Amino acid sequence: MKHRRFAPFTRAGSIVAAALTAATLLANCAGGSSAADSGASQGGSGAGPVHIKVWAWYPEFKGVVDAFNASHKDIQVDWSNVGTGPDQYAKLKTAFKAGSGAPDVAMVEFQEIPSFVILDKLVDMGQYGANDDKSLYADWAWKQSTDGNKVYAIPVDGGPMALMYRKDLFAKYKIAVPKTWDDYAAAAEKIKAADPKAYIASFGKDGGWLNGLMWQAGCKPYSYSQAQAKDAVGIKLTSPECKKVVDFYGNLVDKGLMAKDPFFTADASAALDSGKYWTWAAAGWTPGYLAGSLKKTSGKWAVAPMPQWTEGANDQGDWGGSTFTVTTQSQHPKEATIVARELFGSSKAAWDIGLNKAFLYPLVKDVAANASFTDKAYDFFGGQKVNQIFVPVSNSLGEFQYTPFQDYVFATMNDLSAEALAGKRPWSTVLDETQKKVVAYAQQQGFKVSE
Amino acid sequence: MSQLLPADPALTAPPPPVTPTPPVRAARRRGLSHQTRQAVAGSLFVLPFLVIVLLFLALPLGYAFWLSLHSESLVLGPHFSGLEQYKEAFTDPQFLTGLRRVILFGVIQIPIMLGLALAGALALDAINSRVAKVFRLVAFMPYAVPAVIGALMWGFLYSKTFGPFAGVSGLWGAAPVNFFGGSLLLVSLGNVVTWAWTGYNMIVLYSALQGVPREMYEAAVIDGASPVQIALRVKVPAIKPALSLAAIFTVIGTMQFFNEPAILARFAPDIDAGYTPNLYAYSQAFRFSAFSYSAAISFTLGLSVFVLSYLFVFVSRRRAARA
Repeated sequence: MKHRRFAPFTRAGSIVAAALTAATLLANCAGGSSAADSGASQGGSGAGPVHIKVWAWYPEFKGVVDAFNASHKDIQVDWSNVGTGPDQYAKLKTAFKAGSGAPDVAMVEFQEIPSFVILDKLVDMGQYGANDDKSLYADWAWKQSTDGNKVYAIPVDGGPMALMYRKDLFAKYKIAVPKTWDDYAAAAEKIKAADPKAYIASFGKDGGWLNGLMWQAGCKPYSYSQAQAKDAVGIKLTSPECKKVVDFYGNLVDKGLMAKDPFFTADASAALDSGKYWTWAAAGWTPGYLAGSLKKTSGKWAVAPMPQWTEGANDQGDWGGSTFTVTTQSQHPKEATIVARELFGSSKAAWDIGLNKAFLYPLVKDVAANASFTDKAYDFFGGQKVNQIFVPVSNSLGEFQYTPFQDYVFATMNDLSAEALAGKRPWSTVLDETQKKVVAYAQQQGFKVSE
Repeated sequence: MSQLLPADPALTAPPPPVTPTPPVRAARRRGLSHQTRQAVAGSLFVLPFLVIVLLFLALPLGYAFWLSLHSESLVLGPHFSGLEQYKEAFTDPQFLTGLRRVILFGVIQIPIMLGLALAGALALDAINSRVAKVFRLVAFMPYAVPAVIGALMWGFLYSKTFGPFAGVSGLWGAAPVNFFGGSLLLVSLGNVVTWAWTGYNMIVLYSALQGVPREMYEAAVIDGASPVQIALRVKVPAIKPALSLAAIFTVIGTMQFFNEPAILARFAPDIDAGYTPNLYAYSQAFRFSAFSYSAAISFTLGLSVFVLSYLFVFVSRRRAARA
């Protein structure tokens, strides 16, 4: 799941929390005293059910927790939402540093898993039988959650990418839906000609989004396996497959065919809803994110497979997605593993909520293949059964690894993209400079880097 | 002091009117002396505060300092490295850029804000009507709005689509102004800070003005001073201590600039992980897991705040002495 998809209210709340944490940073970066609540789960020997603390920020999650608690006598889940994405990670890292205060089970996005693994803070659920779930999940997701036989995370939802576009406008101006990225660039020119105030899309400063596009282009810049070598990491952001993505988009931005506004703001929603942007290379969770906020253009959108770099190819990428992990601070790792595996897992009740209320894209293969998911028609997309596009994408995704310092990589890439957006840096240098900075950082952190 | 009565004959000259009852005297002599008892009582009064200071200020500061003396790497974990991290902080371009940015920000924003606050306070002091009371309340209100809410609010006010200001340029057909980009970004941030803190400083200065003896103004009027002359030659010098206090607090606040850029970052791509030193410390600890480097940055920042505010006090004292 992409973390920025929720109502601004929750986000504001979590910012308040983050700001409060940071306001007292000077006195507080000791780490011990802030944020996290005390103690892991109580319960245990004999009397009553074991209570497992869960941190997660899925929407509509209360129903999922209730369903789990109703179907489990010996284990009860105590859930809290301590913040979305980065805000939760900040609290989690503080608790890890302090040595106490982390929950038993924590929601973690795919790109963050190695960053927690290297801190030695995630339990290998393989010891408690989690390897049995291997066949349950989409292959790429299972590979990102595991390291050999070690299972560090149980996948929940993903973000296979596809192209969302304004069907009515493309039809009105007789612009063909782009099948290749060359078509896409040509369509961008035509859109500008049709409406000088419109853009084909916006280039938001978002590491996950750019990463998804690079993944689709066959760029696999990172490699890391703690099981093989804790101190060896591969970083190669300068391969032609990676650079062509940034060059392509940078060219569109420089020509004024692509807007420069950030994603997930009220302005961005308004721009999508007013005909300012005609497309968005979006993810499987986007329908749920947008359906509520784009009222005027509801029904006018459609989904097409991602444009390809080579005509007729079937290369795909993913943007976002999340998992459940068990922390080493848990007193009941066995029960916590059960919670991580079964909160969603193959629970029908949970996925009913997950699919129809929270709009998650399921990484459980059976759930994704089920007709109730693939045949679901979306009013927002004019009755199109969009999951028939997203499901094959998820199925065809290959392996893609992340570094154990992905936050640093994305932050660096984002900040350098922002410099290029502001015209202070040529686009062609964004990845070269990211590579340089990330390699220097990795070496300083004690890694042997292969480029 | 073992005797209850002082030995000095001058003091003992008038005989004590009431003879103290012997049992009490005996008890007092057996127990602690008067001074010691006072000292104990005093420490008991101080104790609660002392515990809080030690527990929530000294101890975390000490721990943070201890952390800052360690280098931390993802592969090797933490190890003692002395002042190595500080050396790194002082040569870290991202940290230094952020530091330079807040100093530039302060040099421009602080005088503007304090100037506005002073003008407002002088105006409030000069006009004494119901309008002044309302104005005082309204001016103070932004300070009552939590900084995070204020920043979010300005995020929407600056918006290209919803904001009231962006539309103004549309009147002559220009594209909406981008308040979140280029050189305007720092101005936009400065505006939010000025909005939030001018009223607060105005009230501080206004209260100081209330304490100035009215006779001084009367004397000035009799000497033939105009209202403007009274304001600049009498009132402003009279509240100089309050002005420098407000200035020092503002300098410290500016160096710790965090809330506004942290929140507006979602609207403004140009705000990077090290936009201000405090934001950089936050990113290092809670995004990149580098707690010890974050501690070193925090201490370096604290040191710069100390140096800058000391410098400010020093300069203003020197100027006061010369005047």
